[in-house]
Amino acid sequence: MKKLPAGVPWIAPAVGLLLALSIYPLIYSIKVSFTSEAGGFTAAHYARLFQDRLFAVACWQTAEYLTVALVVEFGLGLSLALLVDSLGRGRGVFRAGLLAPMLLPPVVAAVIWRLIYNPQFGVLNGTLRAAGIPAQRLTWTSGESSAMFSVLLVDIWEWTPFLFLLLSAGLQAIPQEPYEAAKIDGASQWQVFRDITLPLLKPTIVLALLLRAMDLARIFDQIFILTQGGPGFATETVSLYIYRTAFRFFNFGYAAAMSFVALALTTIFARALLRGMRAGSAR
Amino acid sequence: MRIGLQDAILPYVALCFLTGCGGSPPSLVVAVNAGVEGDALKAAAREFGSAQSLDVEIVDLPYANLFEKELLDLTSRTGAYDVIMIDDPWFPRLAQNDALAPFASQAPDPDFLQSCLDVCRLNGTYYALPYVGNSQLFFYRQDLFGKYGLPAPATWSGVLAAAKKIGAGEKMYGYVMRGAPGNPVVADFLPLFWAFGAEMFSAGGAPAMDSQQGIDALRFMLELGKHSPPGYAGFNADEVSAHLLQSTAAMSINWPAWIAAMDDPAKSKVAGKIEFAPMPSEKRKGVAGLGTWLLAVPAASKHRDRAFQFLYWATSADPMKRAALHGNPPTRRSVFLDPGLRAKFRALPAQLQSLESARPRPRTPRWNEIENAFGIYLSQANAGTLAPDEAMRRAAKDIAGIAAR
Amino acid sequence: MKSAWRYGLAALALLVALAPIYWLVTISLKKEIDQFAYPPSWWSFTPTFEHYGDAFRVRSFGRFLLNSSLVAAGSTLLALGTPAAYALARFRWPGAWGSKIGFWILSTRMLPPIVTIVPLFLMMREARLLNSLTGLGLVYTAFNLPFVIWMMRGFFEEIPPELEEAAMLDGESRAGALFHVVLPLAQPGLAATAIFCSIVAWNEFLFALILTQTEAATTLPVGIASRVTQYEIQWGAMSAAGVVAMVPVLVFAAVVQKYLVRGLSLGAVKG
Repeated sequence: MKKLPAGVPWIAPAVGLLLALSIYPLIYSIKVSFTSEAGGFTAAHYARLFQDRLFAVACWQTAEYLTVALVVEFGLGLSLALLVDSLGRGRGVFRAGLLAPMLLPPVVAAVIWRLIYNPQFGVLNGTLRAAGIPAQRLTWTSGESSAMFSVLLVDIWEWTPFLFLLLSAGLQAIPQEPYEAAKIDGASQWQVFRDITLPLLKPTIVLALLLRAMDLARIFDQIFILTQGGPGFATETVSLYIYRTAFRFFNFGYAAAMSFVALALTTIFARALLRGMRAGSAR
Repeated sequence: MRIGLQDAILPYVALCFLTGCGGSPPSLVVAVNAGVEGDALKAAAREFGSAQSLDVEIVDLPYANLFEKELLDLTSRTGAYDVIMIDDPWFPRLAQNDALAPFASQAPDPDFLQSCLDVCRLNGTYYALPYVGNSQLFFYRQDLFGKYGLPAPATWSGVLAAAKKIGAGEKMYGYVMRGAPGNPVVADFLPLFWAFGAEMFSAGGAPAMDSQQGIDALRFMLELGKHSPPGYAGFNADEVSAHLLQSTAAMSINWPAWIAAMDDPAKSKVAGKIEFAPMPSEKRKGVAGLGTWLLAVPAASKHRDRAFQFLYWATSADPMKRAALHGNPPTRRSVFLDPGLRAKFRALPAQLQSLESARPRPRTPRWNEIENAFGIYLSQANAGTLAPDEAMRRAAKDIAGIAAR
Repeated sequence: MKSAWRYGLAALALLVALAPIYWLVTISLKKEIDQFAYPPSWWSFTPTFEHYGDAFRVRSFGRFLLNSSLVAAGSTLLALGTPAAYALARFRWPGAWGSKIGFWILSTRMLPPIVTIVPLFLMMREARLLNSLTGLGLVYTAFNLPFVIWMMRGFFEEIPPELEEAAMLDGESRAGALFHVVLPLAQPGLAATAIFCSIVAWNEFLFALILTQTEAATTLPVGIASRVTQYEIQWGAMSAAGVVAMVPVLVFAAVVQKYLVRGLSLGAVKG
């Protein structure tokens, strides 16, 4: 018998736990997604999925949420990373302080913003009114047209620090020599950024985007606390819709089918992003 | 900081130790709604615990979570809860598959109001007893009605006219309602819906909300919405009550749980000015929605006898009277007619009248899903995203799909 | 850009980041009547600790705090992830198995929790681990494994293998070399990883929501979320609990912030 690689016993417990608590449930879920409520085999759940308008809306809204949040968080995160990196003294203070929002339990962050957003008693409307701005029509999370925007704002506040952290780390990893060479050559700040910083930062950028996108695709905690998917269906995302189908309507088969379709969609997206990452880090 | 492998294991070992010998499990676990309706049961549970020297744990959860947790516990038979609080529309779903323990005595005390007892039965067997006698009341500012010479609101048309007049004359909104999707908007809409002669389901069981009466009712709701504070399509009970308490709105449907706050000078700017009336009529006599909270014992409970003991005690006349003194709406006629209580709570006669004739929401195990779907379209109509007839049509279509499964 | 402008902008960003957190703290310290006051006051109010007393003594938040602490501590079972990370960093694997396994392990982190939650609930019920801290701890450990392996592999790869080889030449076994030579050098990485895992467990919501039923296992996030009821939001208790939930995280993170950046950048560069 061929000898097992030496590392196997080292890896076995970890792989074992992952198989038990991540892979086995996944396989069980597949079985559930093909089980009808009476217990027999059925593909009806998947069939229903393609006609479910609400599921399509939830997917679309999740994609919308993901895109906007990602773009804004990345832009802000990069700007902040560059800004703080360029500061002389006190960099550590700024870095530590700016990380605070992402360290909070997401539930606490959502709760804070629920307090702030309350149209009657919240400090946001209160401050606006005190400043003379009529805030009666500003309903934030209670208004159908403003709910998505309000929820996005919370995500941006909470997770821009994450992008900031990763991009800061990436900036720190860039060696000094190219910069010194550019200085000698007399390059402008924009040229330095475009030709040195960005290319060297690319692997970090792709990684940061990938990580954040994965988390955004399954966004749940904040929306659960802030709006529960409402008002109407305005802030419904895939995770929430699956959760409600599973635990409020007790329809596990349908919920399982939905989660696999969602998983498939996010995997496709992740592979595309990873391909971009491999292409970028040709070193 | 020296952290080695040992230090990584140590917390885990400690964890196992602590969870192992971390106190004995409680003798009774009561799942309660984390809101005003649950307060009475919490107090009763604590009283029972100290009187019987039992360790009673109270798990209080928000409305939606309570349903989920109870459903999960009942269907998986985990036995985590010994006594559970059930909102009457949940009962058909939760009582399925013998998940609840039937009562030993199937002849409940006739002192309980019949309308409350009716929702405690499944296929003729009693699985619960009513504890919080909730049925909707119409709250309106008597002082303002008097000021503008308006008669007490007897019809919805009258309500709309009064809302216009008061809204124009005072710096406030004539009406306020719950528009948040799901349970809030559906509960507030049904009395109006019924008063216009509409029904959710026809005699044959098919969805009937897209009837002309249903569409008219929704159109009327949007009319009322024009005289309601902006953003009402997302309001829940705390926003509605806040508007009444702060005197920024003059009328609303509401639950008796809020009566105490209305008359409390510490919370209310309108103490004593609000009158509580039965539901207005329109094409049909006005009828309130029933929202009674029931108490039941899960079949998988590990402390059934003790649970039933607590249940019978809490719903008996004296403890219920004590709960009523703290504002809990009772379910026993004798408590409603108690002179001491009637002197203290001026709305008690109106509550009794409303409760006796109240109408439960459609009794179906799929009510949760149906309410959810109906609620989404109602909320969208109120937010202006959908036209009323389109909203009702889509609702009927979705609900037909849900019922068919 | 001039230095003053840059500091000004950074200060503005800091203000935006911290103001809401400050607001939570003030709400937790205000009397109820001040909480709803208009115009809202940022510092001129008389503080009260009644909400903290209410949350932790009258309501069950003391128990929730204990539960969260135990679970956070117990979820850092680095004993599983560290050897695996070491194996991936040091040993030779046939074909491209090394990076394949590594990638597979990392990909399990991408599983949306909602996919596994129902089977996990049923499994926990069978194993009688439902509504228990041990069960929750196990789930979180599995959760954290990919991250532990990823981080620690990066740190191990930084340490030159010659040191262990020297120890093994002296008669140490491979495990002994890991224990006595490599781990002491990787301590900052271990500390950072452990703390990060605790933070993940401390903050987690969805699994705790489903897998806990009574006080015996309910954690802080679930307890806080349950203050958002249908009729009213219990602002006092919720904000007091929220402040207590966030303080340990902020403190720990401040301590380990430097290593987080290093560890993440190592992982980023090695991919």
